[in-house]
Amino acid sequence: MLILNRRNFLRAGSAFGGAALLGGTASRLHAASETLTLYNGQHRATTEALVAAFSKATGIEVTVRNAESPELSAQIAEEGANSPADLFFSEQSPPIAALQEKGLLGKVDEATLKTIPAKFSAKDGSWIGATVRTRVITYNTKMISPADLPKSIMDFATPALKGKFAYVKQDGFQEQIMAIAHIKGRDAALAWLKGLKEYGRSYNGNRIASTAVLNGEIAMALSNNYYWYSLAREKGEANLDAALYSFPGDDAGNIFNVSAAGVLKSSKKQAAAQRFLAFMVSKPGQDAMVDTTAEYPVLDGVMSPFKLPSLETFKAPVTPADMGSAAEAYALEREAGLI
Amino acid sequence: MPPLWLVLVSLIPFGLVATPIGYVALRTVTAGSSGILRDLIRPYTLNLLVNTLTLSASVTLCAGVIATAAAWCTERCDLPGRRWWRLATALPLAMPAYVSSYAWSSLGPAFQEMRGAILILTFYCVPLIYLPVSAALRSLDTNFEDVARSLGHGRWRSFVRVVLPQIAPALSGSALLVAAHMLAEFGALSFLRVETFTTAIFDQYTAEFNNNAAALLSGVLMLICLPVAFGEAALRSRRRFARISRGSARLITPVALGKLMPLVVLGFVALTVLGFGVPMVTLSFWVWQGTSAGQGIGRVLPALFASLGYALPGAVLTTLLAVPLVMATTHFRGRLATLSDRLPYLVHGLPGIVVALAAVSVSIQYLPAIYQSTTLVMLVYAVLYLPLAQSAVRASAELVPRELGDVARSLGKSPFKAFLLATLPNLAPGIGAALALVALQLMRELTATLLLAPAGVVTLATEFWSYTSDRAYGAAAPFAAALVLISGVPVYIFTIRTLRVADEL
Repeated sequence: MLILNRRNFLRAGSAFGGAALLGGTASRLHAASETLTLYNGQHRATTEALVAAFSKATGIEVTVRNAESPELSAQIAEEGANSPADLFFSEQSPPIAALQEKGLLGKVDEATLKTIPAKFSAKDGSWIGATVRTRVITYNTKMISPADLPKSIMDFATPALKGKFAYVKQDGFQEQIMAIAHIKGRDAALAWLKGLKEYGRSYNGNRIASTAVLNGEIAMALSNNYYWYSLAREKGEANLDAALYSFPGDDAGNIFNVSAAGVLKSSKKQAAAQRFLAFMVSKPGQDAMVDTTAEYPVLDGVMSPFKLPSLETFKAPVTPADMGSAAEAYALEREAGLI
Repeated sequence: MPPLWLVLVSLIPFGLVATPIGYVALRTVTAGSSGILRDLIRPYTLNLLVNTLTLSASVTLCAGVIATAAAWCTERCDLPGRRWWRLATALPLAMPAYVSSYAWSSLGPAFQEMRGAILILTFYCVPLIYLPVSAALRSLDTNFEDVARSLGHGRWRSFVRVVLPQIAPALSGSALLVAAHMLAEFGALSFLRVETFTTAIFDQYTAEFNNNAAALLSGVLMLICLPVAFGEAALRSRRRFARISRGSARLITPVALGKLMPLVVLGFVALTVLGFGVPMVTLSFWVWQGTSAGQGIGRVLPALFASLGYALPGAVLTTLLAVPLVMATTHFRGRLATLSDRLPYLVHGLPGIVVALAAVSVSIQYLPAIYQSTTLVMLVYAVLYLPLAQSAVRASAELVPRELGDVARSLGKSPFKAFLLATLPNLAPGIGAALALVALQLMRELTATLLLAPAGVVTLATEFWSYTSDRAYGAAAPFAAALVLISGVPVYIFTIRTLRVADEL
């Protein structure tokens, strides 16, 4: 038995310390060989599958650093020209668009960009879409019947829905604001936000809001589609008192957003990094990713194993590229007193 | 005047802690004043200010009252099984706040928002105050109380006039920690739908990618922390607690609880169930219900070793750096000593992301060799958790008479040798408590580990984060459970050590 007295405790601590410091140096030396460094904010399982397929196909190793996309974006901005990262894979487009605005991204190869529809990538070609997700309503099937669901995103800003829905001020929300401003005008978007503030309940994360709907804490939530699928996978679809809903027709609420990747301008391994992006939007790359998460492929002809509804109703007037880092959306949120 | 070696050694933690402060200041200046100041003075930001202060003050007050009452019951009353209640009261420390707040928030809206946050975080913080206060109660000279009683004071009055002033340093020191900690709390609050300055700072980074605006809010947060940190120092500055002898040795007659006994026992049961039981039940529920249960189970053990491999050396370094800071203020006085002793508390009130990004910025420019190495993670850990080590070490240091060192000096020892031979051995219980407490917090650390550890490093906390962000709760639960179990070890050591401070007098 290990006796935890002070001396043993200290001894163990200093041994660990020495080992950890040595380990640190060793791993840095190792990283100097030809491997790509990827800062990853996309779901870990998705990226792991993609990286494994890429390494198998090309023999190029990839070191992955996992964290939340916005934190990684802030980190790359601090690192500047000295960034050890070659690639950034963001769960949403705004964190990578923020790096584009700061001039930290290189250009994606023309040939790679042409593989997929232009609406999934940056206009200047500085980042490229990897997967597509849709903006939907998650609702509790025991609390509200499908017939009573609102017919338009604009209905949420009305007293009829007071206290019945959750909204989350991140991850897809800014896209929603931009789409409304684009179609209905800036004033309508502002009024919509004020209505949301008055009648809705703000949650601090999509995951938390989806769980609240599932638990019957609130009837509906404005969210992204894949949250429901991962909950369904975890708890079994039959056990889930929640379902997804999209508005009829080409409502301003039916929009999509993308997870996206780009090469850092400061990377000294441009060729290998470009190969990674090309692989990501190729059939094997897309297959590897869509198997792990309920997101749509960006490449035609790739099938998701999840039962995803057609993207037909999502005639989004606003593409992720129009969004940029969504500065206008934040200005509107400020004006509405939401942030 | 402190000896030269002490001054020089104190400069290391001082420099480390000054780094994020300098970073925040520099960023705020580059942000330019006009536009950002306009952004700052808005109803929304004022609302944040109110929330931040309400949360911090309420949790500190509630936890302070509950902890003091609990400490009095376990140290001074005829409560049966006091030994066990002591450990039970310390137990919620083993439960990371983000786990317990997730568990509670899933029970429904009644446990969310400000009310829920105060409730949940109070339970979480009680042990942090309970342990130092019960240690102080244990070491009190009861003769003062006897005198008060003989002068006709009732039990309550003699408690307020005699006992309370004597436990005040322990109480105010730990309350300060709790207050600063609440200013920086983030993970727990996001589940509870409460918005504070810290959550807004995260929003600035995560939603708007505005490092400068985030720095400005961080600056405001530090300003709020300023009176807390220095006020407590002013409170303690004129007191001296060291004694050579313990007074006449005698057994303390415990106060009979009488009819209150069932109520007190019920209170302790409630404290344990609410602080530890409820989150534990939720964790088991995840495993039982989640289809992802069992995924990644083979990684639990490696992650556990990685957690220990980071937390233990981190704790050693943090404690080593804390000792000179504490010595400089408890045994010597001076403005610089006070400043370097207080600065870490200011930084403790900052969110982890701010400190981590400061480390990114400074290290990549001036020390690229250690960027994203274990060394840098250890330094950032120390910056984040110095105050925990300081308060634990101080509990011991204040009881060590300065004269011990003087005696050693008069016997011809050099100042450093005098410290090593005469003072340091007496700090042992405090150092043990500090190591345990810091190791405990480091095992949960997430942001700095994710951004700054060498790529591919996987700890219990990062695995838990990774699975929960994918909603694979069943897979996440074993990592959380392992974290709670392994946390039990430092909690046990911390409890024993803290109470030992009192016994070793």
